[in-house]
Amino acid sequence: MLSILGALGGVILAPLAGGLLSGVDRRLTARLQSRMGPPLLQPFFDIFKLFGKAPQATNAWLVFSAYIYLLASAFALFIFFMGGDLLLLFFVLTIGAVFQVVGAICVPSPFSQIGAQRELMLMVAYEPILILVFVGFAMCTGSFSIADVFKLNTPLLLKMPLLFLALGYALTIKLRKSPFDFSASHHGHQELVRGVQTEYSGPFLALIEIGHWLDLVLILGLCALFWHTSVIGMVLLVAASLFTEILIDNITARLTWQWMVQKQSLLVGMGLALVNLLWLYVA
Amino acid sequence: MMNFLVFCCVVLPFIVGLTLYCVQNSSLRAMLVPTAVVVMALAAIGLGAGGPFHMEASQLFGLPTDAVFTLLDFLLLLYILVLGWNLRSRLVMGMTALQLIGMAYLKSVLMAHDIPVTGFAPDGLSLIMVIIICVVGGLITIYGLGYMDLHEEHLHLRTSRQPRFFAIIFCFLGAMNGLVLCNNMSWMFFFWEVTTLCSFFLIGHDGTEEASKNAFRALWMNVLGGLAFVSAMLFIQKSMGTLSTEVILQKMAALDIKSTAMLLPFAFLCLAAFTKSAQVPFESWLCGAMVAPTPVSALLHSATMVKAGTYLLLRMAPAFAGTTMSTIVALFGAFTFVGTCMLAVSQSNAKKILAYSTIANLGLIITCVGINTAASMVAATMIIVYHSVSKGLLFMCVGTIEQRIGSRDIEDMRGLYGVMPRTATITAIGIFTMLLPPFGMLIGKWMAIEAIARAAQAMTPILFFIALGSAFTVFFWARWAGILISSPSLYEYPVKGFQKPTVIFSLRMLCCVALLFSFISPVVLKDFVGPSVEGVYARFNLRVEGFIPGANFTSVEGYSWIYLLFIMLALGVWFAWRMSRKVPEKAHALPYFSGLAAREGDEVGFRGPMNVFEPARVSNYYLTQYFGEEKVTHAIDVISIAFLIVLVGGLL
Repeated sequence: MLSILGALGGVILAPLAGGLLSGVDRRLTARLQSRMGPPLLQPFFDIFKLFGKAPQATNAWLVFSAYIYLLASAFALFIFFMGGDLLLLFFVLTIGAVFQVVGAICVPSPFSQIGAQRELMLMVAYEPILILVFVGFAMCTGSFSIADVFKLNTPLLLKMPLLFLALGYALTIKLRKSPFDFSASHHGHQELVRGVQTEYSGPFLALIEIGHWLDLVLILGLCALFWHTSVIGMVLLVAASLFTEILIDNITARLTWQWMVQKQSLLVGMGLALVNLLWLYVA
Repeated sequence: MMNFLVFCCVVLPFIVGLTLYCVQNSSLRAMLVPTAVVVMALAAIGLGAGGPFHMEASQLFGLPTDAVFTLLDFLLLLYILVLGWNLRSRLVMGMTALQLIGMAYLKSVLMAHDIPVTGFAPDGLSLIMVIIICVVGGLITIYGLGYMDLHEEHLHLRTSRQPRFFAIIFCFLGAMNGLVLCNNMSWMFFFWEVTTLCSFFLIGHDGTEEASKNAFRALWMNVLGGLAFVSAMLFIQKSMGTLSTEVILQKMAALDIKSTAMLLPFAFLCLAAFTKSAQVPFESWLCGAMVAPTPVSALLHSATMVKAGTYLLLRMAPAFAGTTMSTIVALFGAFTFVGTCMLAVSQSNAKKILAYSTIANLGLIITCVGINTAASMVAATMIIVYHSVSKGLLFMCVGTIEQRIGSRDIEDMRGLYGVMPRTATITAIGIFTMLLPPFGMLIGKWMAIEAIARAAQAMTPILFFIALGSAFTVFFWARWAGILISSPSLYEYPVKGFQKPTVIFSLRMLCCVALLFSFISPVVLKDFVGPSVEGVYARFNLRVEGFIPGANFTSVEGYSWIYLLFIMLALGVWFAWRMSRKVPEKAHALPYFSGLAAREGDEVGFRGPMNVFEPARVSNYYLTQYFGEEKVTHAIDVISIAFLIVLVGGLL
């Protein structure tokens, strides 16, 4: 019972953490570009403002999809905090991703529809890597349960360094950071306006944004699992992952999906994951 | 009692079919078809409730059953031979002649002094299959009543060909029931060939040139499978002296080292199963089968035909557990999975998407069979059950949509929710039951990944294929679901449709079955699928490798996760629905078009130069430059033939 309450508390607090991390992201990005950047709490101000706007939507399914996306992200995080099953977590994440695509396709707008198609490409690129990484967890711990990771005495990073790198790839894609940001970019100058999120505005955009924060927390949580033995290690690993993501986001240009799916995801990402899996298999 | 129930499932459908064919009366048909379906479904459930049993069935209508089947085997083969003659096909005639010679040798020389074999010995797996065949197949048959009326109206037929159609469908269902229930392989072979013949007739039912061509392709590919089946029977009879499945499996499972000579017949059986289940390189017959009326596609893809192949593999799996051959089968299945998922991405024809997805899921089932552990068997059975329900539903939806909008292209289904909201919703539900948790298919896939991850052999390449294939699966399902509900208006107000009551009934019924069965998936797993696999493992003294099938799901914790997810999602969907209905009409906005958005009727677009309205035209990415049939099929064929050569040739 206590663990359920704790997990629920975690899910409720996660938007705060996600928002802060997003603020850090914006500050760091600004500094990398020799700007001052917005206040740390700017993401929260943005969300409050969005919630204050009058609702506008092209059709009701858009709204429906936004809620389901948020719900799926929250439930995935709940599974994570409960130490549940990694595969279940993966499938629940898929619900969120699918409904983001459904929400974008259900509007007859070229911007959001092409964004949705590109989002599907992103999914083709990151989903296989995630499955392989989770299988790596299972090979080390003997089960797909997250709780079992904490029964190990040595950090997983030592056994699965390549899988950690592969996860890094998958996460950059999942978070739509440059160079993989072609389905929806924060930068205002891309040809798709905001891709999958073009048609969302006001309170519904706020829902999507909160869902994105939850995803960010979940993803960094997954990174933290690689050094579960010490709190300092977790913090270090999360900070390093986040900083690398932001750095890569700022120093790379957006590239085509062919480049992403073929070269980056299939060759590099899955290659790393497979080598590591074979190594675990032999060892 | 069991005698009677088996009679209702196997012999009754043939009698009903014959009656329907002889009495060409449409009102009788409208009465008889639902009645027969209900009787069969009740009998199937009765059989299922009774659990595994043995039945000699040495006499049928006072005649020795074995002799009857021998006679029927020969008559059937002769008929196919004549059919091959009529089609001017040396291929079919040659292969059938070889089968005839094989059967004659088998019956006259090898089995001359044979002890009688137990006729029916169904276990949990067979009973699950019978229930699927009778319930899902039955609903599709009822759907066919309404569908075929409209279909024949469209074709402007002078005399209805429905009696023939339903007669064949009932024979098909009866043959499937016989196939999964019987224990004697030579009886099984008869039913196996009946399904081949029925599918040939049904695919060619409309009589167009394309239909005949595709029916012929289905025939020769399945006759090839029949030839493999006969060869397997010859080898088995020769080496083990019996054709009782039970005894064969007992003998095989007791062997410590399985010699190549012992495994060869099972390689042939795998080949037969691959043709029936339309695995690559035989996938073209199932893709071609979509020219048939929709109830036929629905039947072939869900409850019958292709499931016969996977059933045979599941049945025979204990015989080759722990061999290299098993690993090759797993790799082959995984390859089919990823190859056909890629092909599905490149399709815009809804029936083709469904066809490739069926083949892919069968590939996944075959992977699980090849992994050959208790856990993977459970996964395979789960996928069979839930795939039947969801795929049958989706085919019926596509058929209904096609009769209304005149197209089966998913690009033409944009905004379908505005035209036929209920069918569109049911289709979307069908898609989500194939794709998302907590529905049964996903539970099956979840177990499959777990089973593969715990497998001892060749785990990494198989996982690679499965992981990649799953991602493509999301690609082609998600966009279809989105297209169905696309709309430029805030809310849609449905116009009254003109659907037949039988069509509506079957769609809704199967949709409810899909949802309800998913909700009770832990119970299905614990009370039906798990025990059936455990029964097999106990009967043949197989080693359960440190992992109790479905333990993660049937434990209290596993239960609670699935139910929690179900309840959360149900509440979430209800809440999201409420919230989306609360958006006021004045909040409606046109899509973003850089400030130039305009609307004319149902079309949204922008005002171009000279103030001319330009509607927005969007289409999906089909990536045909990478995954197009003409690009990929050849490579897939070559690789899969290599697999088959390794499978059979590796043993020689």
